[in-house]
Amino acid sequence: MTVPAHKKTALVVHPDLNVLSKYQALLAAEQFTTIVARDLPTALMAITQHYFDVAIVSSQLGEPGDGWPLAGVIHLVFPKSYVGVLVPGADLLTLQTAINSGVQEVYEGDRAPEAVVSSVLGSLKAGEGKGKARAGVQ
Amino acid sequence: MPKKPSLLIVDDEENVLFTLKLVLQEAGYEITTASSCSGALDLIHNAHRFDAILTDLWMEREDIGLELAKTASQLRPRPVIMIFTGYGSITNARGALGVPVDYFAMKPLDLDELKGALHRLLAARPGTKRGLR
Repeated sequence: MTVPAHKKTALVVHPDLNVLSKYQALLAAEQFTTIVARDLPTALMAITQHYFDVAIVSSQLGEPGDGWPLAGVIHLVFPKSYVGVLVPGADLLTLQTAINSGVQEVYEGDRAPEAVVSSVLGSLKAGEGKGKARAGVQ
Repeated sequence: MPKKPSLLIVDDEENVLFTLKLVLQEAGYEITTASSCSGALDLIHNAHRFDAILTDLWMEREDIGLELAKTASQLRPRPVIMIFTGYGSITNARGALGVPVDYFAMKPLDLDELKGALHRLLAARPGTKRGLR
């Protein structure tokens, strides 16, 4: 009997339904089960109900910057998971916030979802081999 | 009595090193200091184990603290890695995100914030002793 491979689960949080739909389709094509959320309460509820291997979160859910605390919470709850944040622009403060929130990567507004998903998959693959981890993720 | 968490603090500015040592010793940590990246690498390569490494970015040369951070990120168990700098830029912050570093702070340091972040990051590590002030 063969044991089925673990199907990875992704959380995508973005206020735009078209963006969510695009990510869901791209991640489904890569065998991910994808949960989507348009706002903070829905995302927090999802975190209490599922384990996520990957989270892609917009830094602007309703107000500028309100996605960062969510990204930090996801990192705290799932320290081994990959957290990427979609940002309008990656200035110094944004990068500092990303590091201090435990985020693995920031993706600027002009990055196509295809490129983001490709980058996430590449990082997951590299992480499996190299153990590129933050403290507490041994 | 539980063992104090050990920190390596690295900075070529003597006054910064002195202040951080004083403040973090007072907070209950065991402190080792180095005034250069090469001095810090010597300590790491001589089997000294640290729970956290706090390093400046610009020492012998620009952004050399990232080299220390990269070396530290390969250690097992991996220490908490914190970088502070007076010369933050998109390039060195991107480099720090890529290591990945656990905390990135700009000088002048907010010592309460630094202590809070250090305490939180150490508490999240398996096997770290609690009970610090």
